[in-house]
Amino acid sequence: MTELNRDAIQAQLQTCTSKEATFKELVSLSKQLDRLTDAEKIEENKVKGCESAVWLIERQENGVCTFQADSDAKLMRGVLAVILSLANGHSKAELQAMDLAAELNEFNLSSYLTSSRTNGILGILKRIKS
Amino acid sequence: MSFDANTIRDEFPILSMEANEHPLVYLDNAATTQKPQVVLDALISYYTTSNANVHRGAHYLSDRATAQFEHARDRVAQFLNAPENSYVIWTKGTTEAINQVAHGLEWCIAPDDEILITSLEHHANLVPWQQLAFRTGARLRVLPLTSKGEWEPEYAHYFNERTRIFACTQISNAIGVKTPLKDMLAAAKAVGAFTLVDGAQAVAHYEVDVTELDCDFYAFSGHKMYGPTGIGALYGKAHALDVLTPLQTGGEMVSHVTYNSTEFNTLPYRLEAGTPNIEGVIGLSAACDFLACQDREDMLIWEQKLARYVYDELKFNNDIEIYSPATDTTVVSLSVPGIHTLDLNGYLDSQGVAVRAGSHCAHPLMAQLGVSSTLRASFACYNTLSEARRFCDVLLEAIEILGDD
Repeated sequence: MTELNRDAIQAQLQTCTSKEATFKELVSLSKQLDRLTDAEKIEENKVKGCESAVWLIERQENGVCTFQADSDAKLMRGVLAVILSLANGHSKAELQAMDLAAELNEFNLSSYLTSSRTNGILGILKRIKS
Repeated sequence: MSFDANTIRDEFPILSMEANEHPLVYLDNAATTQKPQVVLDALISYYTTSNANVHRGAHYLSDRATAQFEHARDRVAQFLNAPENSYVIWTKGTTEAINQVAHGLEWCIAPDDEILITSLEHHANLVPWQQLAFRTGARLRVLPLTSKGEWEPEYAHYFNERTRIFACTQISNAIGVKTPLKDMLAAAKAVGAFTLVDGAQAVAHYEVDVTELDCDFYAFSGHKMYGPTGIGALYGKAHALDVLTPLQTGGEMVSHVTYNSTEFNTLPYRLEAGTPNIEGVIGLSAACDFLACQDREDMLIWEQKLARYVYDELKFNNDIEIYSPATDTTVVSLSVPGIHTLDLNGYLDSQGVAVRAGSHCAHPLMAQLGVSSTLRASFACYNTLSEARRFCDVLLEAIEILGDD
């Protein structure tokens, strides 16, 4: 499984000074996200309310959560890579104590998190905490 | 009069903006059009010289506001070429107009009656009828039209003696195809059905003539024809409007009220409860004036030429599938198999190009086309050939960037 390094991703996104640069960075990040198999892309793994299809799977080992996520849209896969870099490696209790939305805002992604996509992303964050 | 997009552009202040550090290329006109200075001026002028509630006050400003408000009604009636013995009812837009009719005719729908729509409808001309069918036990039927807007003869039986209502779009919002309205309306009338035309996508481009269409109802929105948001109209023949139960009740729509009974006002007020969107009405009237000053025929030819340019530029590209017709449209709706339309849209947006990606409030039509969403570039009078070219260039760049997996 590809390790998603939060600090490296954040540093990379913060160098982006235009929407085009952020777009290209998200596309590049999307390639770091391990894809789910078709067997895993089932209805119960689907996060509702996203404009693109999003699937999220959770595994727990010794109290530590590891998430895998996928989408049919690349930009969303880039955003998912960012989210997983925040969420992976924490316990459920830690995740529930974290303000994931606020942390996500530190990634210079505001223009990709606005409008109708926001609801979808909040849905993903909610599912990660639950 | 002759039409020139570069001249008309100057009348739209917003078009000189930059978006994401690129010149704005606004090609989301089927969602909403930008507004010319004359419309903006009309709104400011109303609030600086005439603001008062209409119909009720016996004072100077109220008289001014009421005069402008009722003049606007005449203006819109003229815009639609409405015959005498018909009315224009103000609504929030197309959606409210259709809901008013769907609610208003509920009393005359019995179980086993049929409500007929087509397969090219926007959800606004589908869900209100579906819900009406659920409430009444009537059957919602969907007349299959091809994605080219053709009606096959074998479907003639969809119009039958049980058809109470036939509601149909003039132009598909998702793919820009025209429906065979004339033939379908004739078939609907032959079986005695009420007829409603959803004109939301037509009013900005075509000269509408409800007398010639001879439909019972015609619904449209102001914001899709260079007017403000939140205002639209329901045109109706007097006998058809007369039988509608009001969607809303309250002030303005009554003539006498006691605790035990209410006598409703006459048309058009009976269907206009509450203080209306006065500024919207006045802005819409200004939009009609704006359109009346143009050579509508040349304007349409220009818009179609832009869509045709994009169609021709992209039609031989094997990555791209186009769902819009080659001619007679102002829209190019397409998809790139293997690339999500939201991703294409994201790149276009980063380059200042505004289009629409999605299902265009037409899920069943998307299913008919076999896609979950399309990317739609829709043109208005102020778009230029260089903008059409820019859309094509940026789209091809997007495919290049997004296509390498």
